[in-house]
Amino acid sequence: MSALLDVGGLSTGYGVVQVLEDVSIRVAAGEIVSLIGPNGAGKSTVLRSVVGLLPPWRGDIRFDGRDLVGRPPHLLPRDGLMYVPQGRVVFPLMTVRENLEMGAFLFRRDRARVREAMEWVLGLFPRLRERLGQLAGTMSGGEQQMCAIARGLMARPRLLLLDEPSLGLAPRFVDLVFEKMDALRAAGVAVLLVEQNAVRALEIADRAYVLARGSTFCEGTGRALLEDAQVQALFLGGRKGEGWR
Amino acid sequence: MLWEPVLWGQLLIHGVMLAGLYGLLALGLNLVFGVMRVINFAHGELVMLGAFLTFWGYTALGLHPLVALPFSAAVLFGVGWALQRLLMERVLGGQPMAALLVTFGLSLIIINVGLLVFGADIRSIPVVSGSLRVAGFVVPKARGLAFLTAVALTVATVAFLRWTAFGRAIRATAQHPEVAITCGVDVRRTRLVTFGLGAALGAAAGSLIMLILPMDPQSGSLLILKAFAVIIVGGLGSVAGSLLGALVLGIAEVFGSFFIATVFGEVMAYVLLLLVLLVRPAGLLGIAER
Repeated sequence: MSALLDVGGLSTGYGVVQVLEDVSIRVAAGEIVSLIGPNGAGKSTVLRSVVGLLPPWRGDIRFDGRDLVGRPPHLLPRDGLMYVPQGRVVFPLMTVRENLEMGAFLFRRDRARVREAMEWVLGLFPRLRERLGQLAGTMSGGEQQMCAIARGLMARPRLLLLDEPSLGLAPRFVDLVFEKMDALRAAGVAVLLVEQNAVRALEIADRAYVLARGSTFCEGTGRALLEDAQVQALFLGGRKGEGWR
Repeated sequence: MLWEPVLWGQLLIHGVMLAGLYGLLALGLNLVFGVMRVINFAHGELVMLGAFLTFWGYTALGLHPLVALPFSAAVLFGVGWALQRLLMERVLGGQPMAALLVTFGLSLIIINVGLLVFGADIRSIPVVSGSLRVAGFVVPKARGLAFLTAVALTVATVAFLRWTAFGRAIRATAQHPEVAITCGVDVRRTRLVTFGLGAALGAAAGSLIMLILPMDPQSGSLLILKAFAVIIVGGLGSVAGSLLGALVLGIAEVFGSFFIATVFGEVMAYVLLLLVLLVRPAGLLGIAER
């Protein structure tokens, strides 16, 4: 299996505080990979480091064979890598249409491509079609999260990094977010999904990694990890529900 | 107060004309604040530099101020770019106070270099004189010209922000820099251009103000106060708000100086500032901090 994303021996942190130690993660083309673990394990930090918002201290980050360490983060959409940060982040004072068009910012001159991408994401999230002219900041949290994911997809990425897309959403939006993972799989978009909703994340994933205290604790297929006694005991509420909602 | 339609109409026209200049004056400051989250205390000095460049073009080269204005704005664009590249980039993202102090120090340096180079004399560009009668109202030509040019530049800037890809990059950076980066916006370059654009708009405002008001190298500190009042009254970071704030300040100054006392016009900026901070701290069209 040649990996699309290949993270090896990644260590990093903020200032002098180390968050990650020797993290290795691989995502193959078209694969849905979940990254789970307790709060504070460093899941979001992995994603931020991959897209260059937080430079690695040590380790390799390769995307499609290209070394990403030191590559300017704003060029990553061109490589086919998009990142959707945590917390339903939209451009609040832009319309939904403008938000979506921002997702295809680097491809704006290729109007046919932008139009096609727009039709695709509006097909995935029909609700956004009704909201195209609305300021994104005035929508509900769930709608903003859909807008943020759709914006990420506007670049037609080969790999989408999703940070806690279900966090703080109403149950029906949580369902919707997980349903869309199947649609992305069908469209051949690989996803690296960071989630606190471990059971759902393992159910949907082809493979998954468990991150604990800044290191990859174990990996396996989603199904295998769901049934793994150790993972259950530690993270799925076997003993205590600490960090899991 | 005494109700005389012609008088009130005349005052209103003067207020609106002044507001056009204040709107342009505040636009650059607001743009830089929106993108950088720093009040550029040297904005008034950039305005003054732009004005003196236009003045120099007029006296030394015999250029009409409206011809000199684009050159002055272009030079100040370069100055703004260089300041961002050489100074602001080092302090942005750190302690907010550091960035604030850098711009404050910069303003002191520019004022004193200005005094050294230009002297402390008060200068004006009395190139346009006389007035027009429009529908029974008197419109001084210089004020009318300054107003129309300021409005045209403001409209152009708003259209640039609204409809061009680069304008969109600026707005995206102001609203969420990190997401802007991940969408493919070169945020560093966007900030350079924004600081340059802010300085260029200031230079244009300064050049137009010099058509109607005399200036000296220290005038910038009074002008930034007005620009500051405009964006606080309208709402920090909101372009529509700062236009409304300019309208309020311009009209208040004219009515205040006519009905109360001439000096009261200059006090209006402070009065409005205090009133808004007391009653509606986010500004008229401002969004409260999230």
